[in-house]
Amino acid sequence: MESGKGLDGPAKFDHRAVTRPDPVLLKHYLILSLCSGPFFPVVFLAHYCRYITLRYRFDDDGIWMAWGVLFKREINLAYRRVQDINVTRGVIQRWLGLASVAVQTASANSMPEMKIEGVLDADGLRDFLYAKMRGAKGQSDAPDGAAGDGGADGPDEALALLVEIRDGVSSLRARVDALEATRLGDNGAAS
Amino acid sequence: MSKTADRAGRWVYRGVWGVLVGWLRVPDEAPNVPPGSGDVVRSLRPAPGFLSYLKVGFWVLAVIFDVVIIGIWVLILGANPIAGAITAPVFWGLAIIPDIFAYVALHVRFDTTWYVVTERAVRIRRGVWIITENTITFENVQNVSVRQGPLQRHFGIANVLVQTAGGGGSAAEGGTSAGHQGLLEGVDDAQTLRTLIMQRAEVSKGAGLGDDREDSRGTLGPAHVAALREIRDALATT
Repeated sequence: MESGKGLDGPAKFDHRAVTRPDPVLLKHYLILSLCSGPFFPVVFLAHYCRYITLRYRFDDDGIWMAWGVLFKREINLAYRRVQDINVTRGVIQRWLGLASVAVQTASANSMPEMKIEGVLDADGLRDFLYAKMRGAKGQSDAPDGAAGDGGADGPDEALALLVEIRDGVSSLRARVDALEATRLGDNGAAS
Repeated sequence: MSKTADRAGRWVYRGVWGVLVGWLRVPDEAPNVPPGSGDVVRSLRPAPGFLSYLKVGFWVLAVIFDVVIIGIWVLILGANPIAGAITAPVFWGLAIIPDIFAYVALHVRFDTTWYVVTERAVRIRRGVWIITENTITFENVQNVSVRQGPLQRHFGIANVLVQTAGGGGSAAEGGTSAGHQGLLEGVDDAQTLRTLIMQRAEVSKGAGLGDDREDSRGTLGPAHVAALREIRDALATT
């Protein structure tokens, strides 16, 4: 789907290239785990497992994300269902050049549905997601989307039908007028 | 007192800001605009009234806090002058130092809050330690609420809360970090903003839940309406 990629324009974010978190994320997890003090081994093991198994896949229509060693988790969501995008950067994340991009759908939970961590070009990812969101572009840009081709035929067909009906009605009208004129003329001649 | 104190205060604050920007990597310019979201309607910090509003809150709390601490110290001084003299630096430090930090924090909070409102989206940046940037398109907005307390009315500011679909525990309270919403705190043109956002939400044909593609395909454009009008005119008895 080339049109989807064309929407990004100048942003050089390649959504297909992102499949694994950047190694810097492990460093971030290490620092986070160190903050937990005596619980370091447990906390770090959990984070390490998450880092090792974390996978992303950015399709044309949605995101797939999975992680977990013992308990596997998998999240799928469609770009069109994205409600808001939250980019969060803590102090350590800013030092490491990281950010977490939280994507929210309309679920009854104030916690984000998906938290994308370890993507270095977080602004690029956000712009990419934003371009896929509803209402990001103006109404006039809508036919540029994937459904644009199918959508363009429908209204045109309806318009053609309407034009046909209009022409038919106007020719009918002309004939009725002519008929009436002759009848009036006959009546006038008779009287 | 004011002029030199003011200059010293500015100098100190510039130092604090320099540390924040240089070491803590706090960005000191506005967040970038969502691409392709139309012209920027406004890109600014909260209104100056918001700073005054925060300061009133600060002074009220600071006075209560200090009266309690100094009161305790005076009681100790009355009961035992020597103990009072020894603990004087502790109590006075406890009374003054948190106030200075709170006062600086208040300014930093004001300076790190950004609202970028474009034609089709709003982006809100907030925070010092943890910086969050929330982006919401107006297409997804379910409702906009404006809140103003008596003190806020005095300073001519209001809070605009933009909510999208979906729930959240503390969402009703309008917490700054809860999901599914964007809070524009202390803006002085709340009514203009509300009108702008609600216009966008009303024009939208979808329910704000990702269903506009199918809906918008079946609607009639101006060309259709013109053709229909011609048919009506042709049928109209002259």
